[in-house]
Amino acid sequence: MSLLDVQNLQKHFEETRVLTDITFSMEQGETLSIIGSSGSGKTTLLRCLNFLETPDAGRILINGEPLFDGDDPRSFSEREIRQRRLHFGLVFQAFHLFPQYTALENVTLAPTLSAKERGEYDAARKEAILTEGRALLTTIGLADRMNNYPHQLSGGQCQRVAIARALAMKPDILCFDEPTSALDPELTGEVLRVIRELAEKKTTMIIVTHEMAFARDVADNCIFMDGGVIVESGKASEVIDHPKEERTRRFVRRIESQSGEEE
Amino acid sequence: MFLEVTGALIQGFLTTVQLFALTLLFALPLGLIICFGSMSRYALLRLPIRFLIWIVRGTPLLLQLLIIYYGPGITFNNNIWGSGDGGRFIAALVAFVVNYACYFSEIYRGGIQSIPQGQSEAGQVLGMTRSQIFFKIILLQVIKRIVPPMSNEIITLVKDTSLARVIAVYEIIWSGQSFIKSAGIVWPLFYTGAFYLLFSGLLTLLFGRIEKKLDYFR
Repeated sequence: MSLLDVQNLQKHFEETRVLTDITFSMEQGETLSIIGSSGSGKTTLLRCLNFLETPDAGRILINGEPLFDGDDPRSFSEREIRQRRLHFGLVFQAFHLFPQYTALENVTLAPTLSAKERGEYDAARKEAILTEGRALLTTIGLADRMNNYPHQLSGGQCQRVAIARALAMKPDILCFDEPTSALDPELTGEVLRVIRELAEKKTTMIIVTHEMAFARDVADNCIFMDGGVIVESGKASEVIDHPKEERTRRFVRRIESQSGEEE
Repeated sequence: MFLEVTGALIQGFLTTVQLFALTLLFALPLGLIICFGSMSRYALLRLPIRFLIWIVRGTPLLLQLLIIYYGPGITFNNNIWGSGDGGRFIAALVAFVVNYACYFSEIYRGGIQSIPQGQSEAGQVLGMTRSQIFFKIILLQVIKRIVPPMSNEIITLVKDTSLARVIAVYEIIWSGQSFIKSAGIVWPLFYTGAFYLLFSGLLTLLFGRIEKKLDYFR
């Protein structure tokens, strides 16, 4: 059984169809990259998986259990959604760290609130959450920055904190929405390195990215989207190096020539 | 004479400060409720509240004071405010609370809407509830942004309290002016100015401290 099954997902905004019949699945420990030009529906797909957008139709299943079913009205209730979205984590393009909290507090806030809500918050739990937060920040190389506020950190450091913050809620699948697009070129490396390490530890991830080399080397599989449909999917090296579809070929060639000019 | 004037002015000033403090006490939270109403998804709630804000901000506070005090008595033959100083004070307080709550609500609304959507979305994907997102993430950022416009509004309130004299609430200017008739002297009026300056000076210092306190994040 697959960890994630997405079946015939549809989404439209007013007159525009943004997602048409999106179907794919992924296994535990797999890294999936999604490529495609802007406006192709990649970000909307991630936002649907994280329930920031509600799909119009289709199904999302985790381990065979339906999380979302377009035919079941309960899928649309806010309370249900809050429980279910915790299967997914999301790292935003623009980080969205909480400015009034330190790096460590950004990481520990959500686990703390959720422990309090369940009435499990005591001294031991507090210590456990803090220990885990410190451990996460140490893994991503920010041990010496834990007590800094977001405005005292570089973009790359902020994005790494955002990754730790998402990991702290232990999602089954961690999603990245163009995690390096808001960064200066010299800062993308440190973020990509952290994601690569997560992939080596078999973290299940979906990465929307424009970094072709990264999408090919780190991801097991790759999906190419255009105009709200999946045009091509398969092994990442196949889709990017030997695309079968003409549209994929054109897209990959265009992106690679662009990044060639930058260098 | 100086001591006599000082005593009378302090008496009037106490009324001024009471009116000021009680107005803040009620208008600050009421403003937040009005603000949520004015941003509601439901037009049945949003439109009447927007209408109220338009009326309150679009007419003079002086007029509102007169209507709130005299309106019920003359229209329904029922002076709900009771007689005497106490009744007039309460009528003035109600007028100030409603007026200032509407202005505060618009400042809150501007503050809340200036916080990027991403802050709330980041909270949502971490599984937080709407109230957790508001109180743990949004609120402090809003407070930081609205301190300057709020301090403006609150300092205006200090001076606006003098309008209450139109329905014979004996605030400090009333006390100062009474000496023109009774003793033929005008300097007590300048003296009232000193009270206002001192009070708004203290408030300015207080808001400066709050701003500084919230300076640790951006």
